[in-house]
Amino acid sequence: MSYLALSFTLLFVMVTMLISVWQKQGLEKEIAIGTIRAAVQLLAVGYVLQFIFETKHPLFIIGIIVFMITVAAWNAAKRSAKVKGMRWRIAAAITATEAMMMGLLLGLDIIEASPQYIIPISGMTIGNAMVVSGLFLNGMKREIESSRGELETLLSLGATAKQSIYTVAKRAVKSSMIPTIDSMKTVGLVQLPGMMTGMIIAGADPVEAVRYQLLIVFAFTSSAALTSLILSNLTTKLWFTDDSRVRVLK
Amino acid sequence: MSAMLELHSITRHFEGESSPLFRDINIEAAAGESIGLIGASGQGKSTLLRCIAWLDKADEGVIRMEGIPQANFEPREWRKQILYVAQQAIMLPGTLLDNMKTVSKLHKQDYDAELANMLLAKVGLQGLELDKPAAELSGGEKQRLALVRSMLLKPKVLLLDEVTSALDANSMQLVERLLAEWRDEEGTTCIWISHDFKQVKRVCDTVWFMSGGRLLESGPCEAFFKQPATEEAKSFIGMIPSRAYEEVTG
Repeated sequence: MSYLALSFTLLFVMVTMLISVWQKQGLEKEIAIGTIRAAVQLLAVGYVLQFIFETKHPLFIIGIIVFMITVAAWNAAKRSAKVKGMRWRIAAAITATEAMMMGLLLGLDIIEASPQYIIPISGMTIGNAMVVSGLFLNGMKREIESSRGELETLLSLGATAKQSIYTVAKRAVKSSMIPTIDSMKTVGLVQLPGMMTGMIIAGADPVEAVRYQLLIVFAFTSSAALTSLILSNLTTKLWFTDDSRVRVLK
Repeated sequence: MSAMLELHSITRHFEGESSPLFRDINIEAAAGESIGLIGASGQGKSTLLRCIAWLDKADEGVIRMEGIPQANFEPREWRKQILYVAQQAIMLPGTLLDNMKTVSKLHKQDYDAELANMLLAKVGLQGLELDKPAAELSGGEKQRLALVRSMLLKPKVLLLDEVTSALDANSMQLVERLLAEWRDEEGTTCIWISHDFKQVKRVCDTVWFMSGGRLLESGPCEAFFKQPATEEAKSFIGMIPSRAYEEVTG
């Protein structure tokens, strides 16, 4: 696609702006910021990826993955309860998920050990883990608020923090995985996934594109399960005070 | 011999409130004593019991069990000995039997079916099907089941927060009788919160009366109801019209 063709896509933004002005939604500033950020971020990433693909240096690959994890953890923590120590736990859960996923994909020779495969697939895995982390933490916050009586009943019967949170955490893990499982069931019927669409537009064989998409779909389910399970274990103590009382969440 | 329970200068001040809910509470309870904690709504009776049970934490003061400060215990060890039974009985997910087995599961003990069935029978729940979901029980059945579930832990102190509020007269009598027998056999100290003066007279040896954020009176139950020492207590038990009533009626 030429830069001229790319510039024509701004027409879509203008349509959005016009609707906002016409409907007095007051979203013009947000739309302008979003447009500039999307363009700058994606173009920058494009140039960074081009550089990494050429150099193929492992340190650059690791660097970009660490950057992705940091941004993902920061973003997921913004949506969670404001508890000290949350951010590094999210980062640890996403890192562990990414390490296990890449370990399997590379170890079983499912993908090539080259930046063209590692970086995009890592990006998708980390992005999915970020969404699942946000869902899990929101679910936990909601569960703790609604199940305070259940938690305190267990504590009053002499349960440890870990024992008392077990059922509540199990419910939050389950609810954080449901969107991923649902999207696996409807993939191809309701929406054509981005990776597959991108490959087909770029001229790849549709069946080859489907194979990669299946890899992503299956990888997402296990990354969702791993992320929420790891996060559930890492955050157990955060929902309680040091003397095992249920924390009041802000 | 030291008291079963000692409260020294207990103060609870909630964040954002201009004055403490209660302050400087000093009192002792002997082993096997049955105490009625009474006072108007909003005086902090439940909060005081929750502080004693370590589900809440006093801002100042020390609570001791058999002479040993609360801080010297692990929270779960403390809560196993001093057990809070809430007014709103919370059933844990699962069946009645699952709920009855909670204590044995949490503490890896054998489930004492004989004791459990005996306690259920004594509170009038002998006919219940134990494989029924606990959530399907009526309010009164839940209250009695929650009490039996707690008694299976055989705590040294039972903190009973309006535990008969949802019961009919017959069931209330059964619960009162069971707790009296239990106290005689096990030497359990019971602290009752109740707004039913007749019940307090029936089941308690001692009364603790809270008003205006203070523990205003404590002494033998009979003497308190015959001749309370303070105007607040006289007003509370209806010996003289309350100030609020006088203000309304002029």
